[in-house]
Amino acid sequence: MPLIIKDEYPEKLFRKDGKRLDGREINELRPIKMEVGVIKNADGSAYLEWGNNKIIAAVYGPREVHPHHLAKPDRGILRVFYRMATFSVFDRKRPAPGRREKEISMIIADCIEPLLFLELYPGTSFEVFIEVMDADGGTRCASTTVAALALADAGVPMKSLVSAVAVGKIDGKIIVDLSGIEDKAGDADLPIAITWYNEEISLLQFDGNMDLEEMNKFLDLAYEALKNIHQIQLDTLKSKYLKLQEETSNPNHKNDNKGE
Amino acid sequence: MMDVKRIISKIEKDYILSNLKKEERIDNRGLWEYREFQINSDLIASAEGSADVSLGDTRIITGLKYDVGAPFPDLPDEGVCTVMAELLPIASPLFERGPPDEQSIELARVVDRGIRHADCVQTKKLCIKEKEAVYILFVDMYVINYAGNLIDAGGVSALTTLISAHIPEGIWNEEKHETEWTGKYFYGQDIVNELPFVLTYGKIEDIIFLDPSLPEELVCDGKISISVTENKITSIQKSGSATFSIDEIKMLGNKSLEFGKKLRKELNLLQYLAKTK
Repeated sequence: MPLIIKDEYPEKLFRKDGKRLDGREINELRPIKMEVGVIKNADGSAYLEWGNNKIIAAVYGPREVHPHHLAKPDRGILRVFYRMATFSVFDRKRPAPGRREKEISMIIADCIEPLLFLELYPGTSFEVFIEVMDADGGTRCASTTVAALALADAGVPMKSLVSAVAVGKIDGKIIVDLSGIEDKAGDADLPIAITWYNEEISLLQFDGNMDLEEMNKFLDLAYEALKNIHQIQLDTLKSKYLKLQEETSNPNHKNDNKGE
Repeated sequence: MMDVKRIISKIEKDYILSNLKKEERIDNRGLWEYREFQINSDLIASAEGSADVSLGDTRIITGLKYDVGAPFPDLPDEGVCTVMAELLPIASPLFERGPPDEQSIELARVVDRGIRHADCVQTKKLCIKEKEAVYILFVDMYVINYAGNLIDAGGVSALTTLISAHIPEGIWNEEKHETEWTGKYFYGQDIVNELPFVLTYGKIEDIIFLDPSLPEELVCDGKISISVTENKITSIQKSGSATFSIDEIKMLGNKSLEFGKKLRKELNLLQYLAKTK
Protein backbone atom coordinates (compact mmCIF):
# COMPACT_ATOMS: atom_id res chain seq x y z
CA MET A 1 0.00 0.00 0.00
CA PRO A 2 1.55 3.35 -0.92
CA LEU A 3 2.26 5.61 2.04
CA ILE A 4 1.42 8.80 0.22
CA ILE A 5 -1.31 9.69 -2.25
CA LYS A 6 0.40 12.77 -3.62
CA ASP A 7 4.07 12.91 -4.55
CA GLU A 8 5.01 15.38 -1.80
CA TYR A 9 7.59 15.37 0.96
CA PRO A 10 7.45 16.17 4.65
CA GLU A 11 9.25 19.29 5.87
CA LYS A 12 11.37 17.50 8.43
CA LEU A 13 13.25 14.31 7.63
CA PHE A 14 14.01 13.47 11.27
CA ARG A 15 11.48 12.47 13.87
CA LYS A 16 11.28 14.13 17.28
CA ASP A 17 13.28 11.29 18.86
CA GLY A 18 16.18 12.02 16.48
CA LYS A 19 15.59 8.96 14.31
CA ARG A 20 14.87 9.04 10.60
CA LEU A 21 11.31 8.88 9.24
CA ASP A 22 11.46 5.10 8.89
CA GLY A 23 12.91 4.72 12.38
CA ARG A 24 16.54 4.20 11.39
CA GLU A 25 19.66 5.62 13.03
CA ILE A 26 21.83 7.82 10.83
CA ASN A 27 24.27 4.99 9.96
CA GLU A 28 21.72 2.19 9.76
CA LEU A 29 20.98 0.29 6.53
CA ARG A 30 17.48 -0.72 5.52
CA PRO A 31 16.73 -4.48 5.80
CA ILE A 32 18.50 -6.35 2.99
CA LYS A 33 17.57 -9.76 1.64
CA MET A 34 19.41 -11.52 -1.19
CA GLU A 35 18.88 -14.72 -3.08
CA VAL A 36 20.70 -16.35 -6.01
CA GLY A 37 19.50 -18.70 -8.75
CA VAL A 38 16.01 -17.19 -8.98
CA ILE A 39 15.70 -17.46 -12.79
CA LYS A 40 16.03 -21.00 -14.07
CA ASN A 41 16.63 -20.08 -17.71
CA ALA A 42 19.56 -17.77 -16.99
CA ASP A 43 23.22 -18.72 -16.61
CA GLY A 44 23.19 -16.85 -13.33
CA SER A 45 20.67 -14.73 -11.48
CA ALA A 46 20.04 -12.93 -8.22
CA TYR A 47 17.21 -11.19 -6.42
CA LEU A 48 17.62 -8.35 -3.99
CA GLU A 49 15.17 -6.77 -1.60
CA TRP A 50 16.65 -3.65 -0.07
CA GLY A 51 14.03 -1.78 1.92
CA ASN A 52 11.22 -1.38 -0.60
CA ASN A 53 13.55 -1.87 -3.58
CA LYS A 54 12.97 -5.16 -5.36
CA ILE A 55 15.44 -5.95 -8.11
CA ILE A 56 16.08 -9.01 -10.27
CA ALA A 57 19.32 -9.47 -12.20
CA ALA A 58 20.19 -12.19 -14.71
CA VAL A 59 23.39 -12.99 -16.57
CA TYR A 60 23.69 -14.62 -19.98
CA GLY A 61 27.12 -15.45 -21.28
CA PRO A 62 29.70 -15.91 -22.46
CA ARG A 63 27.66 -16.01 -25.67
CA GLU A 64 27.77 -14.82 -29.25
CA VAL A 65 27.55 -11.06 -29.67
CA HIS A 66 24.48 -9.51 -31.30
CA PRO A 67 24.91 -7.32 -33.30
CA HIS A 68 28.05 -8.99 -34.53
CA HIS A 69 30.10 -5.84 -35.21
CA LEU A 70 30.29 -5.11 -31.46
CA ALA A 71 32.43 -8.22 -30.89
CA LYS A 72 36.11 -7.64 -30.15
CA PRO A 73 38.63 -10.12 -31.55
CA ASP A 74 41.00 -9.93 -28.57
CA ARG A 75 38.57 -9.83 -25.64
CA GLY A 76 35.01 -10.33 -24.49
CA ILE A 77 32.65 -7.46 -23.85
CA LEU A 78 30.39 -6.74 -20.89
CA ARG A 79 27.00 -5.21 -21.51
CA VAL A 80 24.68 -4.08 -18.73
CA PHE A 81 21.04 -3.17 -19.23
CA TYR A 82 19.37 -1.48 -16.28
CA ARG A 83 15.60 -1.10 -16.67
CA MET A 84 12.76 -0.04 -14.43
CA ALA A 85 9.29 -1.55 -14.54
CA THR A 86 6.51 0.90 -15.37
CA PHE A 87 4.93 0.32 -11.95
CA SER A 88 8.16 0.58 -9.92
CA VAL A 89 7.82 4.32 -9.33
CA PHE A 90 5.15 6.80 -8.16
CA ASP A 91 4.14 8.08 -11.62
CA ARG A 92 3.97 5.32 -14.20
CA LYS A 93 7.25 5.22 -16.08
CA ARG A 94 7.07 5.10 -19.85
CA PRO A 95 7.84 1.57 -21.04
CA ALA A 96 10.70 2.51 -23.39
CA PRO A 97 14.16 2.95 -21.80
CA GLY A 98 14.99 6.57 -21.09
CA ARG A 99 18.22 8.56 -20.83
CA ARG A 100 18.51 7.92 -17.10
CA GLU A 101 18.34 4.15 -17.58
CA LYS A 102 20.98 4.24 -20.30
CA GLU A 103 23.34 6.32 -18.16
CA ILE A 104 22.95 4.06 -15.14
CA SER A 105 23.49 0.98 -17.33
CA MET A 106 26.76 2.49 -18.45
CA ILE A 107 28.08 3.44 -15.03
CA ILE A 108 27.21 -0.02 -13.66
CA ALA A 109 29.04 -1.65 -16.59
CA ASP A 110 32.07 0.56 -15.95
CA CYS A 111 31.92 -0.33 -12.28
CA ILE A 112 31.81 -4.09 -12.80
CA GLU A 113 34.17 -4.44 -15.76
CA PRO A 114 37.43 -4.24 -13.76
CA LEU A 115 36.34 -7.36 -11.86
CA LEU A 116 36.15 -9.64 -14.90
CA PHE A 117 38.85 -11.37 -16.96
CA LEU A 118 37.36 -10.34 -20.30
CA GLU A 119 40.64 -11.00 -22.12
CA LEU A 120 39.94 -14.74 -21.61
CA TYR A 121 36.74 -14.59 -23.68
CA PRO A 122 37.59 -13.11 -27.10
CA GLY A 123 34.68 -12.56 -29.45
CA THR A 124 31.95 -13.14 -26.86
CA SER A 125 29.74 -11.05 -24.63
CA PHE A 126 28.45 -11.21 -21.08
CA GLU A 127 25.07 -9.62 -20.76
CA VAL A 128 23.72 -8.50 -17.42
CA PHE A 129 20.04 -7.58 -17.35
CA ILE A 130 18.83 -5.69 -14.30
CA GLU A 131 15.09 -5.25 -13.83
CA VAL A 132 13.93 -2.92 -11.07
CA MET A 133 10.46 -4.13 -10.09
CA ASP A 134 9.96 -1.77 -7.15
CA ALA A 135 12.02 1.35 -6.49
CA ASP A 136 12.52 3.36 -3.32
CA GLY A 137 15.80 5.23 -3.56
CA GLY A 138 19.28 3.89 -4.17
CA THR A 139 18.42 1.60 -7.08
CA ARG A 140 21.73 2.16 -8.88
CA CYS A 141 23.65 0.99 -5.80
CA ALA A 142 21.31 -1.92 -5.20
CA SER A 143 21.52 -2.85 -8.90
CA THR A 144 25.32 -2.87 -8.84
CA THR A 145 25.28 -5.07 -5.75
CA VAL A 146 22.81 -7.56 -7.21
CA ALA A 147 24.53 -7.60 -10.63
CA ALA A 148 27.81 -8.68 -9.00
CA LEU A 149 25.94 -11.43 -7.21
CA ALA A 150 24.31 -12.67 -10.44
CA LEU A 151 27.70 -12.78 -12.19
CA ALA A 152 29.14 -14.82 -9.32
CA ASP A 153 26.10 -17.11 -9.47
CA ALA A 154 26.77 -17.63 -13.18
CA GLY A 155 30.24 -18.90 -12.31
CA VAL A 156 31.93 -16.08 -14.21
CA PRO A 157 35.54 -15.77 -12.94
CA MET A 158 35.82 -12.55 -10.94
CA LYS A 159 38.58 -10.90 -8.96
CA SER A 160 36.09 -10.19 -6.20
CA LEU A 161 32.59 -8.92 -5.62
CA VAL A 162 31.62 -5.27 -5.67
CA SER A 163 29.20 -3.65 -3.22
CA ALA A 164 27.54 -0.26 -3.46
CA VAL A 165 25.64 2.09 -1.18
CA ALA A 166 24.54 5.72 -1.18
CA VAL A 167 25.45 8.15 1.56
CA GLY A 168 23.95 11.59 1.78
CA LYS A 169 22.96 14.61 3.79
CA ILE A 170 19.49 15.44 5.09
CA ASP A 171 18.64 18.39 7.32
CA GLY A 172 22.39 19.00 7.62
CA LYS A 173 23.16 15.52 8.99
CA ILE A 174 25.15 12.87 7.21
CA ILE A 175 23.29 9.58 6.76
CA VAL A 176 23.80 6.17 5.17
CA ASP A 177 21.50 4.48 2.63
CA LEU A 178 18.98 7.13 1.57
CA SER A 179 15.39 6.05 1.10
CA GLY A 180 13.29 7.44 -1.76
CA ILE A 181 11.94 10.37 0.27
CA GLU A 182 15.37 11.18 1.75
CA ASP A 183 16.90 11.09 -1.70
CA LYS A 184 14.34 13.49 -3.21
CA ALA A 185 14.03 15.88 -0.27
CA GLY A 186 17.62 15.69 1.00
CA ASP A 187 20.56 18.00 0.32
CA ALA A 188 23.21 15.63 -1.00
CA ASP A 189 23.52 12.15 -2.46
CA LEU A 190 26.73 10.22 -3.07
CA PRO A 191 26.48 6.70 -4.49
CA ILE A 192 29.70 4.78 -4.06
CA ALA A 193 30.90 1.25 -4.88
CA ILE A 194 34.00 -0.60 -3.72
CA THR A 195 35.64 -3.50 -5.55
CA TRP A 196 36.93 -5.72 -2.80
CA TYR A 197 40.00 -7.23 -4.51
CA ASN A 198 41.78 -3.89 -4.22
CA GLU A 199 39.36 -2.05 -1.91
CA GLU A 200 39.12 0.79 -4.37
CA ILE A 201 36.22 2.91 -5.52
CA SER A 202 34.76 1.84 -8.84
CA LEU A 203 31.53 3.87 -8.92
CA LEU A 204 31.25 7.40 -7.64
CA GLN A 205 28.75 10.13 -8.33
CA PHE A 206 27.75 13.16 -6.33
CA ASP A 207 24.98 15.71 -6.38
CA GLY A 208 24.63 18.39 -3.75
CA ASN A 209 27.23 20.32 -1.81
CA MET A 210 29.76 19.32 0.84
CA ASP A 211 32.93 20.65 2.40
CA LEU A 212 36.12 18.64 2.68
CA GLU A 213 35.42 17.48 6.22
CA GLU A 214 32.02 16.22 5.16
CA MET A 215 33.49 14.40 2.20
CA ASN A 216 35.89 12.52 4.45
CA LYS A 217 33.00 11.55 6.70
CA PHE A 218 30.90 10.43 3.72
CA LEU A 219 33.65 8.10 2.57
CA ASP A 220 34.33 6.65 6.03
CA LEU A 221 30.64 5.99 6.71
CA ALA A 222 30.19 4.41 3.30
CA TYR A 223 33.16 2.10 3.82
CA GLU A 224 31.72 0.77 7.09
CA ALA A 225 28.29 0.18 5.52
CA LEU A 226 29.79 -1.50 2.47
CA LYS A 227 31.60 -4.06 4.64
CA ASN A 228 28.23 -5.19 5.97
CA ILE A 229 26.70 -5.41 2.49
CA HIS A 230 29.68 -7.40 1.22
CA GLN A 231 29.21 -9.87 4.07
CA ILE A 232 25.54 -10.41 3.12
CA GLN A 233 26.60 -11.04 -0.50
CA LEU A 234 29.18 -13.61 0.59
CA ASP A 235 26.76 -15.33 2.95
CA THR A 236 24.14 -15.55 0.20
CA LEU A 237 26.57 -17.22 -2.21
CA LYS A 238 27.90 -19.56 0.46
CA SER A 239 24.44 -20.66 1.52
CA LYS A 240 23.69 -21.68 -2.07
CA TYR A 241 26.65 -24.05 -2.11
CA LEU A 242 25.96 -25.33 1.39
CA LYS A 243 22.46 -26.21 0.22
CA LEU A 244 23.86 -27.98 -2.85
CA GLN A 245 26.30 -29.88 -0.68
CA GLU A 246 23.49 -30.97 1.62
CA GLU A 247 21.38 -32.16 -1.29
CA THR A 248 24.13 -34.12 -3.00
CA SER A 249 25.47 -35.71 0.19
CA ASN A 250 21.99 -37.00 0.97
CA PRO A 251 21.86 -40.53 -0.54
CA ASN A 252 18.07 -40.40 -0.92
CA HIS A 253 18.04 -37.28 -3.03
CA LYS A 254 16.29 -37.56 -6.36
CA ASN A 255 18.19 -36.76 -9.48
CA ASP A 256 15.74 -34.47 -11.22
CA ASN A 257 18.09 -33.22 -13.88
CA LYS A 258 15.81 -32.09 -16.65
CA GLY A 259 18.44 -32.52 -19.33
CA GLU A 260 17.98 -36.26 -19.17
CA MET B 1 21.89 -22.81 -18.51
CA MET B 2 18.90 -25.06 -18.68
CA ASP B 3 18.04 -26.84 -21.87
CA VAL B 4 16.50 -23.83 -23.57
CA LYS B 5 16.70 -24.14 -27.33
CA ARG B 6 15.28 -22.37 -30.30
CA ILE B 7 14.77 -25.58 -32.21
CA ILE B 8 13.90 -29.01 -30.88
CA SER B 9 15.55 -32.01 -32.48
CA LYS B 10 13.53 -34.47 -34.55
CA ILE B 11 14.21 -37.16 -31.95
CA GLU B 12 12.88 -35.01 -29.12
CA LYS B 13 9.84 -34.06 -31.16
CA ASP B 14 9.11 -37.75 -31.85
CA TYR B 15 9.56 -38.49 -28.16
CA ILE B 16 7.08 -35.77 -27.14
CA LEU B 17 4.63 -36.94 -29.81
CA SER B 18 4.83 -40.63 -29.01
CA ASN B 19 4.25 -39.80 -25.35
CA LEU B 20 1.24 -37.65 -26.19
CA LYS B 21 -0.20 -40.50 -28.26
CA LYS B 22 -0.13 -42.60 -25.10
CA GLU B 23 -1.83 -39.66 -23.35
CA GLU B 24 1.35 -38.95 -21.42
CA ARG B 25 3.45 -35.80 -21.21
CA ILE B 26 7.21 -35.45 -20.85
CA ASP B 27 6.65 -33.86 -17.42
CA ASN B 28 4.30 -36.67 -16.33
CA ARG B 29 1.12 -34.64 -16.60
CA GLY B 30 -2.12 -35.87 -18.11
CA LEU B 31 -3.42 -34.26 -21.32
CA TRP B 32 -5.84 -32.00 -19.44
CA GLU B 33 -3.72 -31.07 -16.49
CA TYR B 34 -2.22 -27.72 -15.54
CA ARG B 35 1.20 -27.29 -14.03
CA GLU B 36 1.01 -25.86 -10.52
CA PHE B 37 -0.02 -22.24 -10.04
CA GLN B 38 1.71 -20.20 -7.36
CA ILE B 39 0.38 -16.74 -6.58
CA ASN B 40 1.64 -13.85 -4.48
CA SER B 41 -0.23 -10.57 -4.47
CA ASP B 42 0.40 -6.93 -3.60
CA LEU B 43 4.17 -7.32 -3.37
CA ILE B 44 5.13 -4.07 -5.14
CA ALA B 45 4.85 -1.10 -2.77
CA SER B 46 4.96 1.49 -5.57
CA ALA B 47 2.14 -0.10 -7.55
CA GLU B 48 -1.60 0.25 -6.88
CA GLY B 49 -1.92 -3.53 -7.11
CA SER B 50 0.41 -6.34 -8.15
CA ALA B 51 0.82 -10.07 -8.53
CA ASP B 52 3.66 -12.54 -8.92
CA VAL B 53 2.28 -15.63 -10.65
CA SER B 54 4.15 -18.82 -11.48
CA LEU B 55 2.75 -21.58 -13.68
CA GLY B 56 5.31 -24.34 -13.36
CA ASP B 57 8.58 -22.55 -14.22
CA THR B 58 6.86 -19.76 -16.14
CA ARG B 59 6.79 -16.64 -14.01
CA ILE B 60 5.15 -13.26 -14.59
CA ILE B 61 5.15 -10.18 -12.34
CA THR B 62 2.34 -7.71 -13.03
CA GLY B 63 1.71 -4.28 -11.59
CA LEU B 64 -1.09 -1.74 -11.77
CA LYS B 65 -0.64 2.00 -12.20
CA TYR B 66 -3.30 4.61 -12.84
CA ASP B 67 -3.58 8.00 -14.42
CA VAL B 68 -6.45 10.45 -14.70
CA GLY B 69 -7.27 11.65 -18.17
CA ALA B 70 -10.05 12.61 -20.55
CA PRO B 71 -12.41 9.80 -21.63
CA PHE B 72 -12.87 8.64 -25.21
CA PRO B 73 -15.50 10.87 -26.90
CA ASP B 74 -17.74 7.88 -27.70
CA LEU B 75 -17.59 6.55 -24.11
CA PRO B 76 -17.77 9.77 -22.04
CA ASP B 77 -18.60 8.09 -18.73
CA GLU B 78 -16.25 5.10 -18.86
CA GLY B 79 -12.69 4.68 -17.65
CA VAL B 80 -10.05 2.77 -19.57
CA CYS B 81 -8.08 -0.37 -18.71
CA THR B 82 -5.07 -1.21 -20.84
CA VAL B 83 -2.83 -4.27 -20.75
CA MET B 84 0.83 -4.28 -21.75
CA ALA B 85 3.27 -7.19 -21.75
CA GLU B 86 7.03 -7.24 -21.95
CA LEU B 87 9.10 -10.37 -22.54
CA LEU B 88 12.15 -9.40 -20.51
CA PRO B 89 15.53 -10.58 -21.78
CA ILE B 90 16.18 -12.03 -18.30
CA ALA B 91 13.39 -14.54 -18.91
CA SER B 92 14.94 -16.61 -21.67
CA PRO B 93 17.85 -16.64 -24.13
CA LEU B 94 15.11 -16.67 -26.78
CA PHE B 95 14.03 -13.14 -25.85
CA GLU B 96 15.88 -10.12 -27.12
CA ARG B 97 15.90 -6.53 -25.99
CA GLY B 98 13.98 -3.95 -27.87
CA PRO B 99 10.47 -2.80 -28.62
CA PRO B 100 7.61 -5.30 -28.14
CA ASP B 101 7.59 -8.08 -30.72
CA GLU B 102 4.66 -10.12 -32.04
CA GLN B 103 4.71 -12.58 -29.18
CA SER B 104 4.49 -9.95 -26.44
CA ILE B 105 1.79 -8.04 -28.32
CA GLU B 106 -0.24 -11.22 -28.73
CA LEU B 107 0.12 -11.97 -25.03
CA ALA B 108 -1.08 -8.50 -24.06
CA ARG B 109 -3.91 -8.51 -26.62
CA VAL B 110 -5.30 -11.93 -25.71
CA VAL B 111 -5.22 -11.17 -21.98
CA ASP B 112 -6.73 -7.74 -22.65
CA ARG B 113 -9.57 -9.13 -24.74
CA GLY B 114 -10.29 -11.84 -22.17
CA ILE B 115 -10.76 -9.12 -19.56
CA ARG B 116 -12.47 -6.55 -21.79
CA HIS B 117 -15.25 -8.75 -23.12
CA ALA B 118 -16.02 -10.50 -19.86
CA ASP B 119 -17.59 -7.59 -17.98
CA CYS B 120 -14.61 -7.90 -15.64
CA VAL B 121 -13.53 -4.29 -15.04
CA GLN B 122 -16.49 -2.01 -14.33
CA THR B 123 -15.32 0.87 -16.48
CA LYS B 124 -18.32 3.03 -15.49
CA LYS B 125 -17.02 2.98 -11.90
CA LEU B 126 -13.73 4.42 -13.17
CA CYS B 127 -15.46 7.66 -14.15
CA ILE B 128 -14.75 10.72 -12.00
CA LYS B 129 -16.71 13.26 -14.07
CA GLU B 130 -18.50 12.56 -17.31
CA LYS B 131 -16.71 13.97 -20.38
CA GLU B 132 -13.96 15.44 -18.15
CA ALA B 133 -11.99 12.95 -16.08
CA VAL B 134 -11.76 9.18 -15.89
CA TYR B 135 -9.25 6.73 -14.51
CA ILE B 136 -6.92 5.06 -16.96
CA LEU B 137 -5.60 1.79 -15.55
CA PHE B 138 -2.35 0.31 -16.79
CA VAL B 139 -1.91 -3.40 -16.18
CA ASP B 140 1.72 -4.07 -17.10
CA MET B 141 2.98 -7.64 -17.27
CA TYR B 142 6.67 -8.52 -17.09
CA VAL B 143 7.74 -12.05 -17.98
CA ILE B 144 10.47 -13.09 -15.53
CA ASN B 145 11.02 -16.70 -16.65
CA TYR B 146 9.69 -18.31 -19.83
CA ALA B 147 8.78 -21.98 -19.73
CA GLY B 148 5.74 -22.04 -22.01
CA ASN B 149 2.10 -20.86 -21.91
CA LEU B 150 2.56 -17.20 -21.06
CA ILE B 151 -1.06 -16.46 -21.89
CA ASP B 152 -2.70 -18.47 -19.10
CA ALA B 153 -0.15 -17.31 -16.53
CA GLY B 154 -0.60 -13.74 -17.77
CA GLY B 155 -4.39 -13.99 -17.50
CA VAL B 156 -4.24 -15.07 -13.87
CA SER B 157 -1.53 -12.49 -13.17
CA ALA B 158 -3.54 -9.60 -14.66
CA LEU B 159 -6.71 -10.68 -12.90
CA THR B 160 -5.01 -11.06 -9.50
CA THR B 161 -3.44 -7.62 -9.98
CA LEU B 162 -6.85 -6.03 -10.61
CA ILE B 163 -8.34 -7.86 -7.62
CA SER B 164 -5.54 -6.62 -5.36
CA ALA B 165 -6.07 -3.00 -6.52
CA HIS B 166 -6.10 -0.08 -4.07
CA ILE B 167 -6.48 3.18 -5.93
CA PRO B 168 -6.76 6.71 -4.47
CA GLU B 169 -10.32 7.99 -4.72
CA GLY B 170 -10.80 11.22 -6.64
CA ILE B 171 -13.83 13.52 -6.84
CA TRP B 172 -14.52 16.31 -9.28
CA ASN B 173 -14.22 19.87 -8.02
CA GLU B 174 -16.64 21.88 -10.14
CA GLU B 175 -15.19 25.30 -9.22
CA LYS B 176 -11.53 24.51 -9.83
CA HIS B 177 -12.44 22.25 -12.73
CA GLU B 178 -10.05 19.54 -11.60
CA THR B 179 -9.88 16.24 -9.74
CA GLU B 180 -9.35 16.32 -5.96
CA TRP B 181 -8.16 13.44 -3.80
CA THR B 182 -10.36 12.46 -0.89
CA GLY B 183 -7.59 10.63 0.96
CA LYS B 184 -9.60 7.41 0.73
CA TYR B 185 -9.09 4.42 -1.54
CA PHE B 186 -11.29 2.19 -3.64
CA TYR B 187 -10.47 -1.46 -4.05
CA GLY B 188 -10.57 -4.48 -6.31
CA GLN B 189 -14.05 -5.46 -5.18
CA ASP B 190 -15.34 -2.04 -6.29
CA ILE B 191 -14.20 -2.45 -9.89
CA VAL B 192 -13.92 -6.19 -10.64
CA ASN B 193 -17.10 -8.08 -11.44
CA GLU B 194 -16.69 -11.26 -13.52
CA LEU B 195 -13.49 -13.31 -13.22
CA PRO B 196 -12.42 -14.44 -16.69
CA PHE B 197 -9.88 -17.25 -17.08
CA VAL B 198 -8.02 -17.95 -20.28
CA LEU B 199 -7.14 -21.54 -21.14
CA THR B 200 -4.58 -22.41 -23.79
CA TYR B 201 -4.36 -25.71 -25.63
CA GLY B 202 -1.60 -26.96 -27.89
CA LYS B 203 -2.15 -29.18 -30.91
CA ILE B 204 0.29 -31.62 -32.51
CA GLU B 205 -1.06 -33.67 -35.41
CA ASP B 206 -4.50 -34.66 -34.07
CA ILE B 207 -3.64 -34.52 -30.38
CA ILE B 208 -4.83 -31.63 -28.22
CA PHE B 209 -3.59 -30.90 -24.71
CA LEU B 210 -3.91 -28.21 -22.04
CA ASP B 211 -1.15 -25.83 -20.86
CA PRO B 212 1.73 -26.50 -23.28
CA SER B 213 5.18 -26.39 -21.68
CA LEU B 214 8.09 -24.80 -23.55
CA PRO B 215 9.29 -27.92 -25.44
CA GLU B 216 5.67 -28.70 -26.36
CA GLU B 217 5.14 -25.12 -27.51
CA LEU B 218 8.24 -25.33 -29.71
CA VAL B 219 7.15 -28.51 -31.47
CA CYS B 220 3.37 -27.99 -31.61
CA ASP B 221 1.60 -27.10 -34.85
CA GLY B 222 -0.51 -24.46 -33.20
CA LYS B 223 -2.37 -23.27 -30.16
CA ILE B 224 -5.80 -22.06 -29.24
CA SER B 225 -6.66 -19.83 -26.28
CA ILE B 226 -10.22 -19.67 -24.98
CA SER B 227 -11.36 -17.15 -22.35
CA VAL B 228 -14.34 -18.09 -20.22
CA THR B 229 -16.37 -16.56 -17.45
CA GLU B 230 -18.64 -18.58 -15.17
CA ASN B 231 -21.04 -19.59 -17.98
CA LYS B 232 -19.87 -17.94 -21.17
CA ILE B 233 -17.06 -18.02 -23.68
CA THR B 234 -15.81 -14.47 -24.14
CA SER B 235 -12.80 -14.61 -26.40
CA ILE B 236 -10.94 -17.07 -28.62
CA GLN B 237 -7.57 -16.82 -30.30
CA LYS B 238 -6.16 -19.45 -32.60
CA SER B 239 -2.50 -19.12 -33.42
CA GLY B 240 0.06 -21.15 -35.31
CA SER B 241 -0.48 -23.22 -38.43
CA ALA B 242 -2.62 -25.97 -36.88
CA THR B 243 -6.22 -26.36 -38.01
CA PHE B 244 -9.05 -27.46 -35.74
CA SER B 245 -12.18 -29.36 -36.75
CA ILE B 246 -15.60 -28.02 -35.81
CA ASP B 247 -16.06 -30.91 -33.40
CA GLU B 248 -12.74 -30.15 -31.75
CA ILE B 249 -13.72 -26.52 -31.19
CA LYS B 250 -17.05 -27.63 -29.70
CA MET B 251 -15.23 -30.05 -27.44
CA LEU B 252 -12.72 -27.39 -26.36
CA GLY B 253 -15.47 -24.86 -25.64
CA ASN B 254 -17.10 -27.40 -23.37
CA LYS B 255 -13.84 -28.32 -21.67
CA SER B 256 -12.89 -24.67 -21.19
CA LEU B 257 -16.08 -23.93 -19.26
CA GLU B 258 -15.45 -26.99 -17.13
CA PHE B 259 -11.76 -26.18 -16.48
CA GLY B 260 -12.63 -22.51 -15.92
CA LYS B 261 -14.99 -23.51 -13.10
CA LYS B 262 -12.31 -25.70 -11.62
CA LEU B 263 -9.66 -22.96 -11.73
CA ARG B 264 -12.07 -20.41 -10.29
CA LYS B 265 -12.61 -22.70 -7.31
CA GLU B 266 -9.03 -23.90 -6.83
CA LEU B 267 -7.29 -20.55 -7.17
CA ASN B 268 -9.96 -18.65 -5.22
CA LEU B 269 -8.56 -15.35 -6.46
CA LEU B 270 -10.85 -13.24 -4.28
CA GLN B 271 -8.58 -14.10 -1.35
CA TYR B 272 -6.11 -11.61 -2.87
CA LEU B 273 -8.30 -8.56 -2.30
CA ALA B 274 -6.27 -5.74 -0.74
CA LYS B 275 -6.57 -5.60 3.01
CA THR B 276 -8.63 -2.52 3.76
CA LYS B 277 -7.34 -0.35 6.57
